[in-house]
Amino acid sequence: MEMLLMGVCLSVLGMAVVCLAFGAATRDLGNPPVAAPGVEKEMVRAAASPARFFVDPPALPMAAHAGVPIEALLLQIENHVRLEHAAAECFLQSPSASLLHSRTISAFVN
Amino acid sequence: MSDIDLFKGIAPDEAERVLALGELVVVGAGAELFHLGDAAESIYLLVRGRLRLTLPMQVRSREENVLVEECSAGQTVGWSALTPPYRFTLTASAPLEAEAIALSREALNAYFAAHPATGYAVSFNVSCVIGHRLQLFQAMWLREVQRMVEMRCA
Repeated sequence: MEMLLMGVCLSVLGMAVVCLAFGAATRDLGNPPVAAPGVEKEMVRAAASPARFFVDPPALPMAAHAGVPIEALLLQIENHVRLEHAAAECFLQSPSASLLHSRTISAFVN
Repeated sequence: MSDIDLFKGIAPDEAERVLALGELVVVGAGAELFHLGDAAESIYLLVRGRLRLTLPMQVRSREENVLVEECSAGQTVGWSALTPPYRFTLTASAPLEAEAIALSREALNAYFAAHPATGYAVSFNVSCVIGHRLQLFQAMWLREVQRMVEMRCA
């Protein structure tokens, strides 16, 4: 008899727990939360943005001189002029198309 | 004397006589021998030190004198004194103390009128140096244009 009463109590308790859980799960189904428009756009943008695999895209080559101090830039220009002068002298010694357009190692243009 | 480009092919005693027309000019370290746009009355034979020939360029909204050419002892600068409109087209300055002999156009013209053979030889040397410089800068200019073409077509 005691065992039967204990089983009934446990069953009633289990049913109560199941009912509470069901009620909690279905409480707001008829009125779902609406995300703010800004937040929604942000989420869409984040989903659509290109993947960044740990690094930012490389900077453009022309921006390389932007951070160089002006004194260093002037030295680069001077060095470039000297190298171009030497290249032009070589061309005049032995004129040919290949010498006229020989590559330079000048940091100013590379 | 044979190192001076202006006197190539001229007898040493004759070159000495031409040099005697000039006067020695000392250019202090960092000082200018002549400035772009100034009236060009004399050419200069550099006898000691070096000279920087520069032109102004805008670098980051700042005007900077950018090196165009360097001259060493034996070379002549200031050809503008011999060709109209007799205005310097570059600025010449000395990074360290230098010495040059200034030969005025007036004195040279008077001497060459009396000594036409010397006048012809010096004029020939002047034309050689100017022609060489023209070819040099033509080649340098074309190399820059080639780079612009490659950048545009890249």
